[in-house]
Amino acid sequence: MPIKWVLHWQPNAGTTVNTQILTEVSQCVESINGVKEGRWKATLSFYKPMLRVEQANALEFPRDFLGISLQEQPNKYYFVIRGQRLILEAESSIQTIMEKLQSYKTRVALNFEGFQYQLGDFQLRVGKVVPIHSESLRGIVMEMEYLPISSWEKSHQIMGEFFDIWQEALAKRSLPGHFVHIEPILSEFGLSDQYTSQHTAVQYASIMAQMIATAQSAQAVRN
Amino acid sequence: MECVVQGIIETQHVEALEILLQGLCGVHKQSLRIHELCLKSVPNLGLVASEIRLLCDLEQPEPTWTVRHVGGPMRGTGAEQISVLVRPMIESKISKNALRMFYALGYKLDHEQLRVGFAFHFQRGAQITVTVSSINKMLKLHATDEAVPVTPGIQLVEVTAPASSENYTEVVAAVSSFCEYLAPLLHLSKPGVSTGVVPTAAAAAASLMSDGGGTKM
Repeated sequence: MPIKWVLHWQPNAGTTVNTQILTEVSQCVESINGVKEGRWKATLSFYKPMLRVEQANALEFPRDFLGISLQEQPNKYYFVIRGQRLILEAESSIQTIMEKLQSYKTRVALNFEGFQYQLGDFQLRVGKVVPIHSESLRGIVMEMEYLPISSWEKSHQIMGEFFDIWQEALAKRSLPGHFVHIEPILSEFGLSDQYTSQHTAVQYASIMAQMIATAQSAQAVRN
Repeated sequence: MECVVQGIIETQHVEALEILLQGLCGVHKQSLRIHELCLKSVPNLGLVASEIRLLCDLEQPEPTWTVRHVGGPMRGTGAEQISVLVRPMIESKISKNALRMFYALGYKLDHEQLRVGFAFHFQRGAQITVTVSSINKMLKLHATDEAVPVTPGIQLVEVTAPASSENYTEVVAAVSSFCEYLAPLLHLSKPGVSTGVVPTAAAAAASLMSDGGGTKM
């Protein structure tokens, strides 16, 4: 399947994301001739263990256990435990199994949703990060997909070049922040060079960790 | 949900059972070689203790994994009166690192076994699966190549069919009526209700073997 980079918006120190930035980013995609195609959505859930005695041995259980559903694979579900470099693909029915087990529950669930744009051989998706049942904006994400190539390695140059062009176009708008591409070491997760949806899930887990770290450090500064 | 009944048969009569099943189902048997791992939650994890099964299908060129959760059987007088066990069951195909993930989440291996035998899948009032297999235990962890039978000379027969809360009565009826055809060779009952081998098995097997499975119903 085509390779993609998942990017997230990094606000400048002392600033936060707002819907105005999201609007400007979307306008910027259209200004470089991106053609709006339709809606796009992904969902990410943080799980926490349900313990009979709270705090007794909470540290034994992973704190970074995530479940992800992607529009590109509607019948699949992905689990990531980043700390242990674990990515797992299952059928969607695994979510019902997890509920039946009553050993983990959702701590927080986030929607990533927005619009998809076509731009030559590229497909761009820009969206907001909002908690389910809420409209409070927690972040901005972007998927940059290049349709002709499925090799992570081979696509590196063209993806880098396109990313630079995109950053330049966006820079003209003097927004208080920029998009960041962090590259998880996919081989540590046992993933090969050929791109799959498991690669996408790992990237989402990585940007999520980054967004949490940014939010926490911003909070520490304020305090 | 699934409907399930089980029974046992002496290995010497398995060939006769196979001939009978072949005649009844009209499909070919499929080889079965499944490594089954039962995991249980560590003491403090979960509001209740939980159990999960990982099944690794070793018959495939590249082994495939499935995670299965089986709930408690349906209760009540209605459930007691029927001869088939009805219980919630959900499965999900899963990538091969499933065991690692469940270990990471706080599950521990309780026991493992290897099922070797064959299965028939067919439609007969319901989507019925009959498996005939010997249960083997591993002397060393995960050593499926060195497995030894738990009950030498005896094989487990299991008849299952998927069902829903809307159609389970019809599925129960379909499973029950199918089981009657097997009655001369083995008795099938709810799991946990052992009924042993049937006295007519040897004679029925001999008859089946002599007419080469030509028996039509």
